Amino acid sequence: MNITASDVILLAHASCGVLGCVAATWVFVEVLNASPRNAARIRRAALFAALSMAAAWVLGGYWYVHYYSPEKAMILKGPWPFAHNLFMETKEHLFFATAILAFLLPIACREELYANAVARKLVLSVSAMVVITGLALEGAGAVIDHGVKVALLRGPGKGN
Amino acid sequence: MGFSLAAALTILLNTALAWAKDSYAPLNSFMKALTGHHWTTHGLVDLVVFFGLGLVFMKSPWIEKINPARVVPILIGSVVAASLGLGLWYVFF
Repeated sequence: MNITASDVILLAHASCGVLGCVAATWVFVEVLNASPRNAARIRRAALFAALSMAAAWVLGGYWYVHYYSPEKAMILKGPWPFAHNLFMETKEHLFFATAILAFLLPIACREELYANAVARKLVLSVSAMVVITGLALEGAGAVIDHGVKVALLRGPGKGN
Repeated sequence: MGFSLAAALTILLNTALAWAKDSYAPLNSFMKALTGHHWTTHGLVDLVVFFGLGLVFMKSPWIEKINPARVVPILIGSVVAASLGLGLWYVFF
């Protein structure tokens, strides 16, 4: 078995992103049933979503800056160059929007949601957008990963 | 509400900055020189703008004049526009 720091960091990045999406879903469901009883739980879930996305940012950013270059070169020489040109380029910038929305979540949850319909609608919208854009980023990550795979299996000199 | 508007503006600025970096190489080089990687600088700019504008908007009296019900459509519109703006840019760039 040969597990490198690059492997651990990349998988931890994706896992933190998923945890952020799960926590945002949790916030969404709790807010649908907002009451004084679950107010503290909503705030904790929102904070967890923000912290998970922050961890995904730091881990993904470190991996992107330190380890991505050789994989990028491989993708661009392989049969799926769009895995970088479209999916990675979009992912690396759209991620900031998802993270900003996740950071907004605990701030928006400071309101008394059970008594404020506008604030409730805001939190429902923000949490839904974290989930939708977060899952889109997870999907883009899978395409990028597959771009490397097809480059290794079917790239120049592989005879397929 | 201040931080929601700050988020909407930051998300739009994020897409505009991505376009600007790709269109104007000296900007990309400048951002790379600041932190060692253009992406790192880009993220830090977004964070500073989001928290900076959020704090400024929170203390601004004019923010109270905005109808709170309009904040959600503004935020959703900014996310949709910014996402499409990024996706289409990299399809055609």
